[in-house]
Amino acid sequence: MRKVNLTPYLLVLPTLLYLILFFAYPMVRSLSLAVSGEDEYLDILASPDAGAEVSGTLAMQVVVKIVDRVQQDEVLPNGRTRPVYWFQVQGLDINRNEVIGWANQRYLFVESRAESTEARVTSGVPVQGWTLQHIERMFNDFRFWSAIRNTLLLIVIVIPIQFVIALIMALVLQSGIKGSSLFLYIYAIPLGISDLAAGMVWYSIFTQRGFLNSFLDRLGLIDTPFIFIGNDKFGWMMLAIVLAEVWRATSIVMVIVVSGLQGIPRDYMEAGEIFGATLWQRIWHIILPILRPSLQVALILRTILAFQVFAVVVAIAGRDLIPVLANETYRWYNQGDAGFNNPNVAAAYAGLIMLISLGISLFYLRALRSQSEQAAL
Amino acid sequence: MFVKLLRGVRIVFLTGLLLGVFVVYAQDKPAVSFQSTQFNVVEETAKIQTILEGFDGDALFVGIQEGPLIDLLRAEKEAGTGATDVAGALHGTFPVLAKDDALFNLSDLTASIDAEHDIVDSYVELGKLGTSDYQYYVPWMQATYVMAANEEALQYLPEGSDLNSLTWDQLAAWGKNMKDATGENKLGFPVAGLFHRFLEGYIYPSYTGGMVTKFRSAEAVKMFEYLRDDLWPLVNAESANYSFMNEPLLSGEVWVAFDHMARLKPAFDAMDSGDTDLKFVAFPAPSGPAGLGYMPVIAGLAIPYTAPNPDGAEALIKFMMSPETQSAVMRDLGFFPVISDVDTSNMPASVSALSGAVAATSGAKNALVSLLPIGLGERGGELNEIYRNAFTRVVINGEDIATVLQEEGDTLNTLLAETGAPCWSPDPASDGPCTVDAAS
Repeated sequence: MRKVNLTPYLLVLPTLLYLILFFAYPMVRSLSLAVSGEDEYLDILASPDAGAEVSGTLAMQVVVKIVDRVQQDEVLPNGRTRPVYWFQVQGLDINRNEVIGWANQRYLFVESRAESTEARVTSGVPVQGWTLQHIERMFNDFRFWSAIRNTLLLIVIVIPIQFVIALIMALVLQSGIKGSSLFLYIYAIPLGISDLAAGMVWYSIFTQRGFLNSFLDRLGLIDTPFIFIGNDKFGWMMLAIVLAEVWRATSIVMVIVVSGLQGIPRDYMEAGEIFGATLWQRIWHIILPILRPSLQVALILRTILAFQVFAVVVAIAGRDLIPVLANETYRWYNQGDAGFNNPNVAAAYAGLIMLISLGISLFYLRALRSQSEQAAL
Repeated sequence: MFVKLLRGVRIVFLTGLLLGVFVVYAQDKPAVSFQSTQFNVVEETAKIQTILEGFDGDALFVGIQEGPLIDLLRAEKEAGTGATDVAGALHGTFPVLAKDDALFNLSDLTASIDAEHDIVDSYVELGKLGTSDYQYYVPWMQATYVMAANEEALQYLPEGSDLNSLTWDQLAAWGKNMKDATGENKLGFPVAGLFHRFLEGYIYPSYTGGMVTKFRSAEAVKMFEYLRDDLWPLVNAESANYSFMNEPLLSGEVWVAFDHMARLKPAFDAMDSGDTDLKFVAFPAPSGPAGLGYMPVIAGLAIPYTAPNPDGAEALIKFMMSPETQSAVMRDLGFFPVISDVDTSNMPASVSALSGAVAATSGAKNALVSLLPIGLGERGGELNEIYRNAFTRVVINGEDIATVLQEEGDTLNTLLAETGAPCWSPDPASDGPCTVDAAS
């Protein structure tokens, strides 16, 4: 019998555990949130005691008659006592049958606990079930399609620009011309800036009393500030967002491309030069094919990040004018003053973003296969 | 040897003395922990802490966000023991805590404060959250929304209009005059901020007389036509990005703005301190055919069952409700008293300017109070989204008004039915859940 070598598995184990705990589990939970619904029901009991037998089940918001009540006094750890009421209520249960039973005050809305003769059921015990209603709600939201359109539009515009610029930047760095290492520092500046800050920088350029308008005013080109950001300025706002995204995130692509370039053996380039290849021919026939794996990684990374674009858009265009998928997710999740406080629909959005990212990543992996990989299939 | 012994005795004595003092001190005045969603910004926290130094006891003020406060109190309730003695928050936070059955009934405390200082009756009612005899919170302080204008703008007021009783049409005419003179849209609204309150509490009631029941009435259609055709073409397009109107007022890109008092106050403060050369005036929101809709913002104080020091908590609430404290809060923090016997003279100019506008609003003959939603519980934000969506769809996206109101009205009806919320002021009281009337 061959002895199994456990070492590799042991080495992989921590990573595996980490992935399961912090990626797989939350992901499964979040996806199941998108398709699960919570219905709340209140079980009323045979006697005023939390351990008593169930005598009926009521739906939420049902109005019931109070037949009887008992008041118990609970002594709190701080020395005070608080009255706790149990109400014997009578009403129609979930199957429209007349039921009677006891419920604790915390499940009912009662106008006056001491006197009222009517109560409304306001909470109970949640029962999990599967439902497509959250996904339906997502599709029917009036912002859904424009969020999809804007997100895809940004990806289609931003990513090609970023790749062209990143490639140029990387070639400049690799060229070894004087001062090229200085460029690296300049290129790297936006990497240290958070996306929200980047958005705010570009907002302060494009806003009504911003740098751009003051500049144009100084040059005497305009008399009154030109409004770049407003409800009828979709094109200008998109331009500002594209500029901010390109400025902010191109360096990441550059870093990956530089590392790829460093892996190209000098001999290849020298051979190209000897055979009289122009710079363009060298880029097209030598550099790009060898760079393919790096480009693949960068493309996947950038596309996934582009689906999460959020802070830049919100900083420049506010919450309403340019809906994007990540912002919609937040809008549905937000528990604040203006937000749906609905994690289920938010999870549906998150799941959708994941599915699209997954699909596009697979497409990239297939479309950018190298010849040897293609031959192997 | 003797010296050493003496030193030993002295150390023991001093330690004992220190410990004794500490124990006596600790027993005498256990600290009162005060968690509040109001004044949770550093400068405000410093100011409220200074005010709390006047409290006869040790008050520990902690500024906290709404979500974490709810989570904290829920966790304390689940655990059966907690560290929070007093919770201060806006009205909208309390229904969630009430539903969890986490708060003491403060009826007696409220009655004793009311007897001494006379709290505004409608706010006491509000603090009962729809019950008749369970006081979930003691009304603590109030604020509301007003308009503010750069003095530069006043010369463009349409003829025959009075700043303290503007109509919506006059507001639009004013905006038109300013645009003709400057070439810019000088009106501004906090669309990225509390704009939903403008829709719910101001323009909707002033056109329709209600907030919910008349959601898709003919008057509501007229209101949206006004917003879309008359007002919005004159509103600064960057409003979509404004969350605090003091900033565009101070930069001069907006001359006339609507916002929460606290969010306009920094502009008035800057005028007081000389940080800006601009001069601002405050005045009530415009009136419509049905009156002058306005929405008070109420903050309250509550004691959770798990409070380790309920006696201290009651003493602290009494302190916060005393005329001296209420006056100090108004002076330093810009929230108004909810009791009647407060000395409001000697306020800084910024506070008097804003309080003048508030008095003109609540004292107007056609004033129409719109309360914050009651009974929606944790789904209050959803109501706000419905009003915002209706606005965005009609005014920004140009969708058909009747269709939008029909669809958003259906969503509103579903929300009201699911929460069972009865109608609140200014809508007439309802027996069951509030419902949106069919389109007329």
